[in-house]
Amino acid sequence: MAKQLGFYVNAGRCVQCQACEVACKAVNHTELGPRWRRVVNRWDGEFPNVTNIALSKACMHCAKPSCLAACPVEAISKRAEDGIVVVDREKCIGCKSCGAACPYGAPQYGKSGKMQKCILCYTRLDAGKQPACVSTCPGEALSFGPVEEIARRAGAVQPEGVNQPSFVIVPAYRGVKAEEYAEAFFPR
Amino acid sequence: MSTTTAAPTRRQVLAVTGAAGVASVLLSGPSAEATPTAAAAEKAIPTFCAMCGPSAGCGILAIVRDGKFVGIESWPDAPLNHGKNCPKAHAAPQWVYSEQRLRYPLKRVGAKGEGRFQRTSWEEALDTIAAKLKEQKARYGPESLAILSPAHRTYSNYLYRFLTAHGSPNYGHSGICAVQKAFTFSYTLGAQPQPDIDRTNLLMIWGKQPVYAGSSKGSVKQLLDAKARGAKIISIKPTTEPDVALSDVWVPIRPGTDAALALAFLHVIVTERLYDAAFVEKWTFGFDKLVDHVQRHTPEWAEPITGVSAKQIRDVARLYATTKPACIDHGNGFEHAPGCNSAIRAVAILMAITGNLDKPGGDVFSGGRGGGGRGKPLGLQDRYTKEWVDKLVGPEFPRALQPGGEGTSSAYYRIFESVLTGQPYPVRAIIAPGTQPTVSTRGTRNVIEALKKLDFYVVVDVMQTADMAFADIVIPVATGYETDHPFEAGEGWVMARNKVIEPLGDYKSDYEFWIDLGVRMGYGTDFWNGSITECMNEQLKPYGVTQEELRAKPAGIRQPRREPVYEKYEQVFKTPSTRLSKPPYLPQGKVAIYNTTWEDNGFSPLPEWVEPPESPTATPELLHKYPLTFSDFHTSKVYNAGWLRNVPYLREVMPDPTLQIHPETARPRGIAPGDWVIVESLYGVVKVKADVNPGIRPDTVMLLHGWWQGCNELGKPYYPLLRGGANANLMYSTDTKKAYDPVVTAMTSQTLVQVRKA
Repeated sequence: MAKQLGFYVNAGRCVQCQACEVACKAVNHTELGPRWRRVVNRWDGEFPNVTNIALSKACMHCAKPSCLAACPVEAISKRAEDGIVVVDREKCIGCKSCGAACPYGAPQYGKSGKMQKCILCYTRLDAGKQPACVSTCPGEALSFGPVEEIARRAGAVQPEGVNQPSFVIVPAYRGVKAEEYAEAFFPR
Repeated sequence: MSTTTAAPTRRQVLAVTGAAGVASVLLSGPSAEATPTAAAAEKAIPTFCAMCGPSAGCGILAIVRDGKFVGIESWPDAPLNHGKNCPKAHAAPQWVYSEQRLRYPLKRVGAKGEGRFQRTSWEEALDTIAAKLKEQKARYGPESLAILSPAHRTYSNYLYRFLTAHGSPNYGHSGICAVQKAFTFSYTLGAQPQPDIDRTNLLMIWGKQPVYAGSSKGSVKQLLDAKARGAKIISIKPTTEPDVALSDVWVPIRPGTDAALALAFLHVIVTERLYDAAFVEKWTFGFDKLVDHVQRHTPEWAEPITGVSAKQIRDVARLYATTKPACIDHGNGFEHAPGCNSAIRAVAILMAITGNLDKPGGDVFSGGRGGGGRGKPLGLQDRYTKEWVDKLVGPEFPRALQPGGEGTSSAYYRIFESVLTGQPYPVRAIIAPGTQPTVSTRGTRNVIEALKKLDFYVVVDVMQTADMAFADIVIPVATGYETDHPFEAGEGWVMARNKVIEPLGDYKSDYEFWIDLGVRMGYGTDFWNGSITECMNEQLKPYGVTQEELRAKPAGIRQPRREPVYEKYEQVFKTPSTRLSKPPYLPQGKVAIYNTTWEDNGFSPLPEWVEPPESPTATPELLHKYPLTFSDFHTSKVYNAGWLRNVPYLREVMPDPTLQIHPETARPRGIAPGDWVIVESLYGVVKVKADVNPGIRPDTVMLLHGWWQGCNELGKPYYPLLRGGANANLMYSTDTKKAYDPVVTAMTSQTLVQVRKA
């Protein structure tokens, strides 16, 4: 593989506005229901010492995708040029094995029952644009790039996982540690 | 709301088919695997998002494919938002092609409130309105007409112009939004300051939601950059919101008690001598009186009122007063309480005595970041006289202090009161352009009764509205994507609104409607004899361009931003007021700590704590039955006031009206997350879903206002405006003596409630 693209989230800059979610739906004309991208919130502490931390999540475009391994009809593949995980909906039989296998909840199913999910806006990348979620983010929390490059950015942590998610986070303020993020958002 | 209409013409059928076609593209399967559309078939038009108000100015590239508005792209060169957009911007095509769009003028054929209409022509609609207004003007005087303030403010100018040409002072302002602050800050500091967040070391976010209020216009980035720079951030608000998560300190204030908290801050700063003595000496009036006044406003006094511990009040006051520079980012939260004017004055005094006024990183006097620019004022305010002001049916501000910054104004709710009581005279006709009185103001029952009784009601909107069923005439107007005027402007830039698509219905823009009606009424000389071009050219005069010249530059005209000038006290403290005789806002040429203008008009010259009609400290006897404080949120991330809930992509983000409730409050009531709950006050009942979370005071529950619209695509029903619905306005007192600020008519957003599982 030439390179592996992935998302970068500077969690301290996420203000949970959900512009990324709606931008994603709008640009992909996603049907109602499925959410290729989601802002997930977790509460921490007790009133009045309470805060919340958030993560904008989509497909992790894993180096070793659990969904790909689970698919019985080889409908899921990784693009050779950038490692983006894609699904061939002609081949997909809607068995949802991928949904059961993915620890991040990335595969979504709409009316047809076939799998759909974030494709890292590869059609936009091919046209020289950024993913819709990245370009709209008012807090500049979201970014993307070759994983080895974004992982070198200040404070960046690449969560561990058997499927090697292509994803990098900078943990939020108030001393929330990367491990807490892993626990909250990256089930093992 | 059902509407019966005449059989659609071929054009209408086509328009509807067109809408359905786009809707099916939007709502059917993903196009991810589809062949990418060739760039050549697309047009990307730089223009402005039109999804919210009051101001706008967020640039977008509108994508048009085969004549259809299909989406937006980032426009990195946009002057305010630099390519960043909020959720609303992205959902625009679903709004534009909504089935709820009004497509042609309607006239009522059924009884008021029944919702039966018939299609009519623009000619007939305009003639009907003009005939009625002329008849009423002759019989009852021109002041029998009131026009309500729209949410989107770029055309307030036109409404004022129409009213002035007609002869009515009764512009109905909501009394809960922005003008209360602008008015009170002006009479305390000479102008309303803005926080200089880019240069501050301490940012106090007070009663404001910087994430939901214009997130893309830089407020989020400013906040995050300040944080990254190491500035201290304090958030004062009843619930944990995303900005609270970024804050160093959260002050979880009980709703509506900002004045008490600010007075206690003043007590600490004054008694501990943490103020800027040199500034106080040179530039303030009445500090000695403040020293005496705030002796009794100890943190211990404020603790039971505000629900904030005396210790935290002292800590925050000290931190704020000793960190330089510090600024306060103030929001609408102040403007929803009967003590509103005192809260604003106390906050203004905090800015002044700590020496933060008009200093880099403090609270600065400037043109702001722009957006919603209106160019040359068109209100014809030079025609105002004392008799004119005397005719106000229910002044928003005292007559002696009218007109305010925009023009003369009556309080929105007082206009409806006049219809019901006939006092001091009954308003006979109301025009509601882009506003929905049954969801936008308090006392929905009264509003509905008044709408039934009213002689003539006209709704002007892009979409079916909550109170359209009471309208005699409904005027459909174009969205901002279907018109090529007016323009947007801010500090150092001006740009035309470039049309994205041809109108989907039989439309004019709001602006054209007022110009046409003006001409029809015989006010042609005041309405450029019907020429929108001449109108635009006049409005554009301050920018030195014509509409044509501006349109020739689709990306607008930019000038380099001027370097800010600070400490403009000499100039700002002499600012002439907008009153008839134009006396300065500050009679002493100094910050009005002791406000002689207030004193001369019979109001307390120093800020006072005023209890809401019901609260734990005002009415403890109610606590056994109504133990919780209730308030509502003014704004949200995906909706705009009482609109946009019919937009599927936005409704998915916030599907149901939810009550924020603390787990310790929910548990003993048997309420689990997601349960439907009944919230009951002395005045009303709402049924909403429980959002059980620890980020709210356990003694407080809060709801977003503005719920009435359904969303057919998601199977979400329309909510009744009265019983069985989720209309926060039902919950509050409308006792004019207790619930409204006597100076600025701000309306209370606080009461006591009980919550039980539905």
